[in-house]
Amino acid sequence: MDLADKVAAALQTSVLPSVIARGGEIRVLGVENGTATLEIGGSPGASLPLLGRIEQLVCNAVPEIARVRLVGPSGEAQETRSADLADRVRDVLDREINPVIAAHRGRATLVEIDDGWVRLRLDGGCQGCSLAEVTLRQGIEPLLRERVPGMVGLTDLTDHQAGRDPYYSPAKR
Amino acid sequence: MTDIMGKRVLLLVPAITYRATDFVGAAQRLRLDVVIGSDGALPLGGQPVVRVDPDDPGASAQRLMSTIGPVDAVVGVDSQMLPLAARLATELGLAHNSVASVEAAADKSLQRQAWARHGISQPAFRLLAANADDETFVGSARALGFPCMVKPVSLSASRGVIRADDDAKVLAAAQVIREILAEIGRSDEPILIEEFVPGWELSIDGLLTDGALSVTAIFDKPDMPDGPTFEETMLVTPSRLAAPTLARACRLAERAATALGLQYGPIHAELRIDMSAGEERMAMLELAARSIGGLCSRALRFAEGVSLETLILENSLGRSGSSPGISGAAGVLMLPVERAGILQRIDGQADALAVPGITGLSITIPLGQAVRPLPWGDRYLGFLFAAGREIDDVEAALRDAYRKLRTVIA
Repeated sequence: MDLADKVAAALQTSVLPSVIARGGEIRVLGVENGTATLEIGGSPGASLPLLGRIEQLVCNAVPEIARVRLVGPSGEAQETRSADLADRVRDVLDREINPVIAAHRGRATLVEIDDGWVRLRLDGGCQGCSLAEVTLRQGIEPLLRERVPGMVGLTDLTDHQAGRDPYYSPAKR
Repeated sequence: MTDIMGKRVLLLVPAITYRATDFVGAAQRLRLDVVIGSDGALPLGGQPVVRVDPDDPGASAQRLMSTIGPVDAVVGVDSQMLPLAARLATELGLAHNSVASVEAAADKSLQRQAWARHGISQPAFRLLAANADDETFVGSARALGFPCMVKPVSLSASRGVIRADDDAKVLAAAQVIREILAEIGRSDEPILIEEFVPGWELSIDGLLTDGALSVTAIFDKPDMPDGPTFEETMLVTPSRLAAPTLARACRLAERAATALGLQYGPIHAELRIDMSAGEERMAMLELAARSIGGLCSRALRFAEGVSLETLILENSLGRSGSSPGISGAAGVLMLPVERAGILQRIDGQADALAVPGITGLSITIPLGQAVRPLPWGDRYLGFLFAAGREIDDVEAALRDAYRKLRTVIA
C-alpha cells in the first residue's frame, strides 16, 4: 500500500462520514515531501472546518505525513485578488445579509479570503442555531456567489458547539 | 436508475431540529434544486425560503402552492412537518403518504388501535382520558398487570414514558404526564397504559416504496434500561440477533407500517423481543413515518459514503431498490441528561475523541441552557459516534469514551 492509499484508508473511516454529513466530498490527490494534498468538493467549504482534525488523524495514522493541504476542485484558478474579493464580500454582508439575520440576533463576519474561498464566522443567534446550515447554504452562499464572481466556495469557521445563545436550539420533537 | 440531478425538492425543515444540516448537505451532494419551507428560516436575497406553520397546514399549503412553483418531491425533515408534507404532496399529485397515515404514525393511541384492528403484535393496552379518576387508572393498570407502562400518546424521545410497578406509581406517573402535557398545551390528550414487555429492544429503519419495506439499518439497543424512565442511550448496528429473527422483525415492521396506511418514505420502528415465556414474542412498541431521530443517522454510512438522508431524498424522487449495505459496525451513544440544572460544561471531550474507534462527538445543547432529565426533558446533551470492524469494538469504544466525559450541571 503506498502512502496515498494509506491516507485514503485513514480518511475512509474517521473523516469521510463527517465530511459527507456536511455535504462535502474529499479525495486524495497525492503525497509529496511529507505533504498530503486532498481535493475537496461537494458542498463548497464543508471540509475546511475539519482541517485540524483531518491533519491530526492523517499524521497519526500515517507517520510519514507531516502536513495536509486542501485544494478546491481541479485547483480552480483564482483571477480575482483576495483584497478585492474581501471588499465585495464585506459589502454584501453589510448591505444585504447582516441586516436580515439581525432579526434573529445573528451576524456573519468575514474572517479571511484564501485562494478564493470565503471563510465566514457566524455569531450571536446564528452560532449553534439548528437552522444555521439552511441560512448558510440556502441564503448566504448563493447570494455571495451571485454578487461576488471569482469566489470558489464558502467555509463556515463557526464553532457552533460553543454557541451560548442560538436562536433555535436543536431538539427531537 | 432515475437521474435525479437537478430535480426540485421541497424540504420542510422545522426550526427546532437536529437534522437541517444533514438534509441540506445531502441535497447539495445530489445536486438537487432545493426549496425550503420552514417555521424558522429567514429568506435571504430572494432565495426560495417560504415561511410555514406546521400547526396550520391548510394556510401553509396554500402559501407554498402559490409561491414555489412545481416540485418533484416534498420531504418533511422531522415529525412535526410530516402532516404538512403529506397534505401538500397530495394536492400536488405526488406519490406520498396520506395525511391520515402520518397522523396515525404520530399518535400512539391511533397507532395502537390501528394495529389492534390489523392483528399486529403489540403490548396489551388501555387508553384513558387524561382527567380519568384514580380508580380508573389503577383499575386499568391492574387489569394489564404490573409492571406496566404509562405514556403520553404524542411525544417522542421517551419523553413522559414511565414504568410503574404498583398502584401508587401509576398515579404518580399519570400526574407527571399531565403536568408535561399541560406545559406544552396538550392537556386534553389521552394517556396510554400498556403492558411492560421485557426483552431485547431493536429499532428498524427503512424506506417504503408502494408499501414494500427496504431496510436501511437495524440497531440493537444493548443498554436499554428497564425503567422507570427509558433513556435510549446506545444504538449499535448491525444487530447481534439471528438472521431469521431479524427477518421476522422486519416483516412485522412492514406490516405495522401498512396497517397505519404508510406507503412511502422513511420509517423508524421500535420493537421488543420477549423470550421470557420460553418462546419468541415480538411486540411493536411504536413506529414513526420518519427516519431515526436526533443525529443518530450520522452513525450510518452506506456504500460509497452515502448518508441516510441521501437515501431518503432519492426515495422521495422515485429511486427505489434494495438499500446499499453498511460496511462494518457502527454505533451512536446519545448523552443523557442525568439531572436538572444549568449545563455548565462537558469536560473530557478531547479524551473521548481520542478513544480508538470514536469517529465523532457532537454536543448539541449550548452551555448555559437549562436541562432536564427524563421523563421531563426532550433532548440529549449530544451524540458520540463510533465505527469499527466488530460490534463489540464499537460498543466498547462508546462506553470507554462516555466514561471520559464529565458533565457539569449546576
